[in-house]
Amino acid sequence: MLDLLIIGAGLTGLTAALRAVEAGLRVKVVAKGMGSLYWTPGAIDVLGYVGVEERAVDDPWQRIGELDERHPYRIVGADATRRALDWFCSKVTALGLDYSGSDAGNLRVPSPAGAWRPTYRVPAGQRAGDAEDRRPMVIVGFQGMRDFFPHLIARNLSAQGRSVRAALLPWSVLSEQRDRNNPQLAEAVDDPRTQQRLLDALKLVVKPGERIGLPAILGRDHHGQVLATLRQGLNADIFEIPTLPPSVPGIRLATTLRHAVERHGVRVEIGMEAVGFHAEDGVIQYVETATSARPLKHRARAFLLATGGVLGGGFDSNHAGRFWETVFDLPLTVPQDRKQWFRPLFLDERGQPAFRGGVAVNDALQPVNDAGGVVYANLWAAGGLLAHADPILERSVEGVAIASAVAAVEKVHAFALAESSKG
Amino acid sequence: MRHLSTDILVIGGGSTGAGVAWDAALRGFRVVLVEKRDLTHGTTGRYHGLLHSGGRYAVKDPQSAIECIEENRILRRTHTHCIEDTGGFFVVTPEDEGDYPDRFKAACAKVGIPCEEIPVKEALRREPLLNPRISRVFEVPDGSADSFLATHVTAQAAQQAGAQILTYHEVIGLLTEGSDGDRRIIGAIVSDMVSGEDVQIDAAMTINASGAWAGKIAAMADIPVRVIPGKGVMVAVNHRLVNTVINRCKMPADGDILVPVHTVAIIGTTDQRVADPEMLSIEPWEVELMLAEGDKLVPGLSSSRILRAWAGVRPLYQEGYAGDSRDATRALALLDHRQRDGVSGFLTITGGKWTTFRLMAEKTMDKACEQLGVERPCRTADTPVPGVEQGYYWLGHRLHEVEEEKLQGDLVCECELVTRAMIERAAANNPTVTLDDLRRDVRLGMGPCQGGFCTFRAAGILHELRMRTPDTPPTSNGEGPTWEVAYMQSPRHNVAGTPAMLNPAHSPLDNPNLLLRDFLQERWRGITPVLWGRQLKQERLDELIYLSVMNIDHLPPDEDASPLTEFWQFDTTPGA
Repeated sequence: MLDLLIIGAGLTGLTAALRAVEAGLRVKVVAKGMGSLYWTPGAIDVLGYVGVEERAVDDPWQRIGELDERHPYRIVGADATRRALDWFCSKVTALGLDYSGSDAGNLRVPSPAGAWRPTYRVPAGQRAGDAEDRRPMVIVGFQGMRDFFPHLIARNLSAQGRSVRAALLPWSVLSEQRDRNNPQLAEAVDDPRTQQRLLDALKLVVKPGERIGLPAILGRDHHGQVLATLRQGLNADIFEIPTLPPSVPGIRLATTLRHAVERHGVRVEIGMEAVGFHAEDGVIQYVETATSARPLKHRARAFLLATGGVLGGGFDSNHAGRFWETVFDLPLTVPQDRKQWFRPLFLDERGQPAFRGGVAVNDALQPVNDAGGVVYANLWAAGGLLAHADPILERSVEGVAIASAVAAVEKVHAFALAESSKG
Repeated sequence: MRHLSTDILVIGGGSTGAGVAWDAALRGFRVVLVEKRDLTHGTTGRYHGLLHSGGRYAVKDPQSAIECIEENRILRRTHTHCIEDTGGFFVVTPEDEGDYPDRFKAACAKVGIPCEEIPVKEALRREPLLNPRISRVFEVPDGSADSFLATHVTAQAAQQAGAQILTYHEVIGLLTEGSDGDRRIIGAIVSDMVSGEDVQIDAAMTINASGAWAGKIAAMADIPVRVIPGKGVMVAVNHRLVNTVINRCKMPADGDILVPVHTVAIIGTTDQRVADPEMLSIEPWEVELMLAEGDKLVPGLSSSRILRAWAGVRPLYQEGYAGDSRDATRALALLDHRQRDGVSGFLTITGGKWTTFRLMAEKTMDKACEQLGVERPCRTADTPVPGVEQGYYWLGHRLHEVEEEKLQGDLVCECELVTRAMIERAAANNPTVTLDDLRRDVRLGMGPCQGGFCTFRAAGILHELRMRTPDTPPTSNGEGPTWEVAYMQSPRHNVAGTPAMLNPAHSPLDNPNLLLRDFLQERWRGITPVLWGRQLKQERLDELIYLSVMNIDHLPPDEDASPLTEFWQFDTTPGA
């Protein structure tokens, strides 16, 4: 019998799976889709903005105390959050994707619109974009690339007092075919011949002393090697700037995590949407999934819901104003009235009320009802579906996912030990 | 102050104003048209796209019905490529019993609308999603129209005939001379919204074609004109649920028309008398009503993915009328202010509907000629606008052209198949002040992702375009944009060749950040009334892109504001 069934294969689900197998639990992951890592820049955001404050957060660890007292970070605790993040970054680094760095606080790196994004940790390929580094930059794009506009980035970074210029290389440096998305371009760059063309072209535009910013397509499977080749060949620092989804740095992280858990013997079943469950006396017996072949029942001692919020598909809603959690129909803190879901301004610094609501949990990260009682004795929840946070607005997507996944697995572990000692 | 002199000054850049400018220019007058935003920014750009056969009005308003069928036939010749020949059904649902269907059939025969009853089985074969419980079906020559393209191309035709089209020019005062009883309008002072400069335009005749705003313009000369602003709410569904225009066969009411337009189907409309044409808030009950009524035509419509909701204001006019806007006449209203108010040199044209815009222009210019004491016959009915040789619009044309020309890699907006070259050419040939102008030009951001991907891309492309364009206009023609729009919607006609150049005089695109933020806000306005289910998930992805990935809420501060920046602040406010 499984100790833990994880529903969802995003950053939360995969992190939980990795942590759980390390703790010796028998785990399986079922998910409808590939998870939202494919959309994200591959950075580890912990806390970028607090409340309506314009200024980016310098040190997230000093600001967690200002968040809502039921915010996931407050539930997990600042120290446990920090430990979870440190564990995650060193783990992924050990797996071959370099997320090492200082834990002194946030850094800021260029966004594809040329704003400085506050983030806690970036992969090695993005590190040389650091705002504190005062060396001049050249942002290099490719003619006709639909997701990357070096002049726009240069304009906005220059407006913030940096020395930044832009350059465009011919498309043919990357590919002979025009219809190529970012992951396909990254695959093309894995080819040494493409790397050579890129190197030759960059030599013509780069000036001595400049850092070079490129779209995040520097290799899909051989990113580390591509980075080293370009840096040596140019004798210059190179960094990637994330693109629109699908986002290659996010895909690299997702692939690394998935391979790691699969190497531990964990099955990650994609295309298996959880559509139902059966509980007896407040204890979940099994979760049912649908595939095109046949419905399946997954029995486990414990269940972790990591389906994400609205974006991950964990919540659905309709025109009558109902907002619900899609697997267990857990109580949500979202207002059940469409009129209260949105504010008139898209960029309202307070965010949209519909996205702040979610699954309320107790201190053990178990979903609770309005009266504070645990809904199911063997159900935990983690990640983007948790109430009292708006991770996209706060720039805490990865931090909330990792901290709550690790904390939930620790609780599940204790529960599993207690259960097995009962026999 | 800049100074212009003309024969005919047209106020308003909707279908009627563009039609008047076209008509007047073809009659050989010197013409200037002024519009305070982009063309079609008012009611024309906010309608459902139904090219009426006249069936809807056959029983209730036979005069309107006759005008519709005659104009329907003319526009199919003069504006062919702006029309999709969908045909239309009038269907009798279980709720529409009674003698109306027979009266409808008789009325169509009487006013000359081709109307054939077809077997229900045949109708369901052609439109499988239609409510299978309908009892009778009548087929009429309805169509669907692209009011953005039709108006732009009418303006292009007017310009080719010598008219000057000035968008982002707002009338701030009418010039009058004479005293009470013998007053005369001799032009207007307009403000160039982009440069802030005032322009004096002297005109022999001023035509007030400002639609729902007609009362405001007339009031500038102390002339009372009471337009009845009838707000109509429309909802776009993410699929073409039908390929034929579907009407309920009953007295016109709310939510009884379903129109396939481009990639979507639009259900409309409501009719609420409102106080101000710029108060366009959409209430949840209005959306609920559209969905509930839509379910009666296509069961399950309410659970489809809904893309967007918007409201337009009909400029209804009925002298001395005080009732509901639903029952006010749809007939055109031409006000001869010399006869009515003792003010010469000034005509107001309002009322009517999109289908009759050409006729409205003809009658207006007939009256203008009479007042000016000249005899110049109308030529619009026999003069096709540029681009008609493309034939009727058909849904697959963009995909077909993209595949034939292998343009997949150049798609900026995958939802609506807009290529980079289409955006560059539209920006170069039209006055482009906002990304919303490009939405009207090429349907940028009108598909399922509602601008999620293409907003950023378009801002980036326009910024690159601006960078490679010199600060002085590339041509000596400083008069204005060329309005080459006949082929603007065609990927094949816009394959990249010589790089497009902006004319900075009419495309002041200096601030990409503002373009981005204003367009995102404009999109937000249209989607919040219908944001739930899968579309809400899509919206959250757009938030991830613009907040998490782009951090556009923390771009460098810009003091600039575009004309749109303040405009949306008092436009539709969801839930307000």
